[in-house]
Amino acid sequence: MPAGTAAVAGVPPLARPAPARWRGWLGRLAPHLVLWPPLLVSVLHVVSFTAYTTWISFTPSTLLPEYDWVGVQNYVSVLNSRNWKIAYSNLVIYGCGFVLLTTALGLLLAVLIDQRIRAENLFRTIFLYPMAVSFVVTGTVWAWLLNPGIGIQHLVRGFGWAGFRFDWLVDREMAIYTIVIAGAWQASGFAMALFLAGIRSVDADLYRAAQIDGAGPWRIYRRVVLPCIGPIFIAVLVILLQFAIKTFDLVRALTGGGPGLATQLPTLVVYDLMFQRGLLGRGAAAAVMLLLSLLVVLLPYFAYARWRKRREARHG
Amino acid sequence: MFTIDRRGLMAGAASLLAAPHLARAQGSVKPRLTLISQWSAGSDGAAITALGRVFEQEGGVWQHSPVPGFTTEMMNKLRADILAGNPPAASQLKGPEIAAWSRIAPTVDLTEEVKAAGYEEVVAPDLAKLHKPQGKWIALPLQIYRTNTLFVSSKAMARVGATELPTTWEAFNALAGKMQAEGITPVANGGIRWDDGMKFEIALAGISPAAYRKAIMELDDDALRGPEVLAAFQQLRRFANWMDPAVAGQHYSVFLPRFIKGEMGMLMMGGWAQGVIRHNGFDAGDYMIGQAPVDNGKPAFVLNADAFIFWRSKEPDLQAGQKLFAKLVMSKRVQEMYSKTTGSIPVRTDMDLSGEGWSEGQREAARSLNESVKANQAVLSLAHNMAQSNQLTAAMIDVLTEYVHNKAVTPEQGRQRLAEAVESAR
Repeated sequence: MPAGTAAVAGVPPLARPAPARWRGWLGRLAPHLVLWPPLLVSVLHVVSFTAYTTWISFTPSTLLPEYDWVGVQNYVSVLNSRNWKIAYSNLVIYGCGFVLLTTALGLLLAVLIDQRIRAENLFRTIFLYPMAVSFVVTGTVWAWLLNPGIGIQHLVRGFGWAGFRFDWLVDREMAIYTIVIAGAWQASGFAMALFLAGIRSVDADLYRAAQIDGAGPWRIYRRVVLPCIGPIFIAVLVILLQFAIKTFDLVRALTGGGPGLATQLPTLVVYDLMFQRGLLGRGAAAAVMLLLSLLVVLLPYFAYARWRKRREARHG
Repeated sequence: MFTIDRRGLMAGAASLLAAPHLARAQGSVKPRLTLISQWSAGSDGAAITALGRVFEQEGGVWQHSPVPGFTTEMMNKLRADILAGNPPAASQLKGPEIAAWSRIAPTVDLTEEVKAAGYEEVVAPDLAKLHKPQGKWIALPLQIYRTNTLFVSSKAMARVGATELPTTWEAFNALAGKMQAEGITPVANGGIRWDDGMKFEIALAGISPAAYRKAIMELDDDALRGPEVLAAFQQLRRFANWMDPAVAGQHYSVFLPRFIKGEMGMLMMGGWAQGVIRHNGFDAGDYMIGQAPVDNGKPAFVLNADAFIFWRSKEPDLQAGQKLFAKLVMSKRVQEMYSKTTGSIPVRTDMDLSGEGWSEGQREAARSLNESVKANQAVLSLAHNMAQSNQLTAAMIDVLTEYVHNKAVTPEQGRQRLAEAVESAR
């Protein structure tokens, strides 16, 4: 740095080069500062607590953690319990129903909004809004709506259709589908937003080419747009599936796991074991199995992502 | 007032002697109490606040941290405090969980205080047992509710032309049949787990308090597979058939207006429902209240009680506070004030409820508790975590709530599942 700059009033001459050095330092440090602290926090939070829970699941812990080893005893007793079996078969029904219904509704809404309608932003906001509501609120509201004595059934009967029946909430066989409905109501706006972003990113030339070839709108969506947004489908499916697996508050507020045990989900069983029954070890075992079921969803996705990457690399 | 202040100071002085090294630093000790409970709103909140005021009048420092919401949240706070080595001086805890939690952190031995107050003689024996797990008093019951209480809608009674509460299950069933013929839903119900479990305990305690004690409190396998339990499952099925099929997963209080209007006939609920009904703007003339049917003609009392457990502390001011608090909780004055606010009945069986401010329902329940204790027919509630540890209770209630909502399960299957649930949860 030239000596002349030191003549600026009030600045000690030797202080000048420092900021430059600082900036260089900062420049080199910045990526590390951005990367490491969040990474450390995540590692601490996710990995260490996961490891701790896994450890607890092999101990006889009840009200407080204890550190003796009991092997897989907790896993065996959870797997043999009726609640866990009911919860898992419910998870399959709910997971499939929720993901399919939400994806279908989200796609439908996205296609409809894509029709260059007026007040698009307004509709987008309305459909996305349920996402801003907590699951407890969703559950409570739907609990009232679906309650046959006070909700929709009561209303329709009040209109004069005395034979109308919509009592899924109190029907053991159907109650799990009310959770599908409430969950889909909540999440389909989110799926819509993702799909809409995907649809809008499809190259306009592809549309035009298809139009010139004489394809109608239905055909364009089916043959051009949807294949183009394939990756978005995968993203939506993965996100919704992990939503489904960790659903807790919605069920708790909507049915409380009932009628009877008809709408138990694994998350409720974990909570029940850990905090209501005071069986930390068994609850931890259930939590670990829940985590494993998340892996069942995520591992195929990672495999798929890798496979795609390799294929792209090969085809250039 | 002055004498009591002095007594408080003396309690403080006693603990000063116990910990002289700390006492020197602090000079004279003002009794202080740190307390965790879930009571923050409604009549529960009002009652505990009033108790705090009494504590302050006696010269204490009252530090109450309510953890409202589910009991589990309060227990999580307690767990965290214990793990941190800093449990509160006292916390709300009930039933066999007192014994379970007393194993994980040191508690205060209150046997001296209880003896000095002559308290043991005036507490129902089964209840006393819960509060002294290893023969030492470590917790004190505060108030009692009877769960086997029958509320009958006056309007529904008028419509079927009945004037008397049923005293046997046969009479109950006949009355319910009449109500159904009149288009009244005979049994009011909310459809939450404990609500379903309570219906079973009321049925079984009414069929045979002795069988209840054997099967539910002692978990005797023969009793669990016995004819009384089967009869209780049959009665529970009748209840289920008399409930409004459109009701599920709601708190019972949601349907109180329909009950008062006479659309629902009979409500089996603990004594606390009196306070809730009053809170909803209805008065005592809207319903009749009494003991749920008991077939052997003697009074039976299914007991639910709130209590405080006392955690050991090194600080002399907390120790003094615990002594003062124990004395207050056992006193007639505080029990009267507390029960009058919440609608419960006092733990002490030697209190006079004929005075102003007690309801007819409270007087009847207190009388019934006294007589039930004498007849050895006072038992502990299953649905309210008094009879068994939470683990066993949850396993049993699972069976009961499923039975209520799944009519394909026969009473025989219900009885078998209950016995199996007990076996596998033990």
